[in-house]
Amino acid sequence: MDIFLSEKNRVVRQSVRRFCEKEIKPIAAEIDRECSFPWEVVEKMGRLGYFGIQAPRELGGAGLDSVSYVIVIEEISKGCAGLGLCVSVHNSVALYPILAFGTREQKQKWVPPLARGQKIGAFCLTEPNAGSDASGIEATAIRKGDHYVLNGNKVFVTNGGVADTCLIFARTDPGAGSKGISVVIAERGTPGFVVGDLEDLCGVRANPVSSIRLYDCRVPLENLLGKEGMGLRIGLTALDTGRLGIAAQGVGIAQAAFEEATKYAKQRKQFGVPISRHQAMGMMIADMATQVDAARLLVLRAAVLRDQGKPFSRQSAMAKLYASETSTSVTDMAVQIHGGYGYSKAYPVERYYRDARVTRIYEGTSEIHRMVIARSVLE
Amino acid sequence: MSLKIIVCVKAVVVGAPGGRVIRSSNSCELNPFDRPPLEAALRMKEEKGASLTVLSMGPPSCAFVLHEAIAMGAARGILVSDPALAGSDTLATSAALGAALQKLAPFDLVLFGTRSADGDTGHVGPQTAVLLDLPLVGSVDLIEKKGAGLVVERTLDGFRESFEVRLPAALTIHPGFSEPRDVPLAGIQGAFEREQVETWSLSDLGLSAEQVGEKGSPTRVTAISKADRRRKCEFLSGSEEEQAEQVAQRLTEWGLLE
Repeated sequence: MDIFLSEKNRVVRQSVRRFCEKEIKPIAAEIDRECSFPWEVVEKMGRLGYFGIQAPRELGGAGLDSVSYVIVIEEISKGCAGLGLCVSVHNSVALYPILAFGTREQKQKWVPPLARGQKIGAFCLTEPNAGSDASGIEATAIRKGDHYVLNGNKVFVTNGGVADTCLIFARTDPGAGSKGISVVIAERGTPGFVVGDLEDLCGVRANPVSSIRLYDCRVPLENLLGKEGMGLRIGLTALDTGRLGIAAQGVGIAQAAFEEATKYAKQRKQFGVPISRHQAMGMMIADMATQVDAARLLVLRAAVLRDQGKPFSRQSAMAKLYASETSTSVTDMAVQIHGGYGYSKAYPVERYYRDARVTRIYEGTSEIHRMVIARSVLE
Repeated sequence: MSLKIIVCVKAVVVGAPGGRVIRSSNSCELNPFDRPPLEAALRMKEEKGASLTVLSMGPPSCAFVLHEAIAMGAARGILVSDPALAGSDTLATSAALGAALQKLAPFDLVLFGTRSADGDTGHVGPQTAVLLDLPLVGSVDLIEKKGAGLVVERTLDGFRESFEVRLPAALTIHPGFSEPRDVPLAGIQGAFEREQVETWSLSDLGLSAEQVGEKGSPTRVTAISKADRRRKCEFLSGSEEEQAEQVAQRLTEWGLLE
């Protein structure tokens, strides 16, 4: 597997793995149970550059490549999927669009605190009536003098409960259909910017997913990202990168489940021998190993293409689809190998099983990804 | 004047599937016992403006440990690497590191971990110091600058010992010196962006193939096999008090409890 990695990528993997073993893994069960966001660890992650993995070093980031990015997300997610989600979304769909579409002034203003983890970013697209169909967005950003006045209800916002810098997808031209959607940056603390209650989710519970409501929230015109009407283009570009992160998250969850299952299968004895010696367990372990490897290879391929500046949309869709499906099937097998204990919160596979499920839903459902892939194959 | 510090580090083997040792960045990592000396040197660099070079011996695939040290804040990395070094025991390793240190002279301080996580001999630091005729204090957990030298301290056999050391000197740093730092991602990018690791061969060091490798090694590991460590598990029965009583009785019988 690692034959595709450079020495730099390997040092990144070893360093992040060591950090996660020491800082994240020991608290993962607790922060899942308590639905708590571990600020102390997050601040350390910020100082180590985990919140600006690919941002340029002159803007406070680490300046690494996409391969390093997916490695970091995989390793964090292996420890805690909720934190992996936090870092993935922050880097890909919150920070990256500012780097890709922001003006020089916007980058100077927004990127350094985000890249250093001093501020957390969020991507606010989903609404009660707009998800897979982003053109259904109802939030509005109406120009009034030198401000936009934002109104809308954003739901299932990853990092919502802690986010400082939010990319709001809203209609600047309500009559222009999907061409009337724009991205405006709104900051927590602005009057009319209201963070809703945290969602009580099945998995990724360490992530403060919440709604964000905007009531006549006034933000300066210079907070517009790109141009008016570019919203969907910015969203799709961001999601190409975002789904790479979620694919890596799926690989991380699957890897964690795979390791726990193999460890358990060697320890647990039934019929006088470790259950790993029973063929039925061996079959599952073989399938898990193969699926995790295949998913990681798809993720790495998409990351390499991105690093080479080549189109990677189809490949990142395939990686996201396969890695998220792998994540759910591998965690399911891990629970099965653990038997009754796998269904107990005393063992971590129960958490992996819950965490994996959402990877097939967010940042584009598996069904949407199949549509994207089919369209690209058939065009 | 700021100190010139050299930290010797090793890439240790963490996995040998099927008993075969292949040293590469997949099977090796920076010796965890070398992190405390690195941390000690990095603190002296940050607090007192010391200059820091890291030195290692191994195949080219192990240069990553030097990159990792550079990512943490070291300025320069030297990898002593030559096919003739294969099979070196701890004395031959000390000879090669000693020759590299002489090439790096003058320096003020050479730091080592107390041992390596794979070989686990604890020889290399002390042997290298002897070969270079440097004063050595082992298992140090406190370093203070005093005049032209250092005051260093350690705890040994329940006693706290304090030494004044003239420079240049060699120290091995106790694993409990302090929590080693994590590696910042920007540091990793920086360490690979600009090549700061040099590779020195035997000829660069003025050594011959006879002085190192298997030929230059007075000792040789002839065989390694897994130790037969049988564990016996015994279940105690009765009430909690009775079980506790039985545990205490066993521990007393074994001489672990008086």
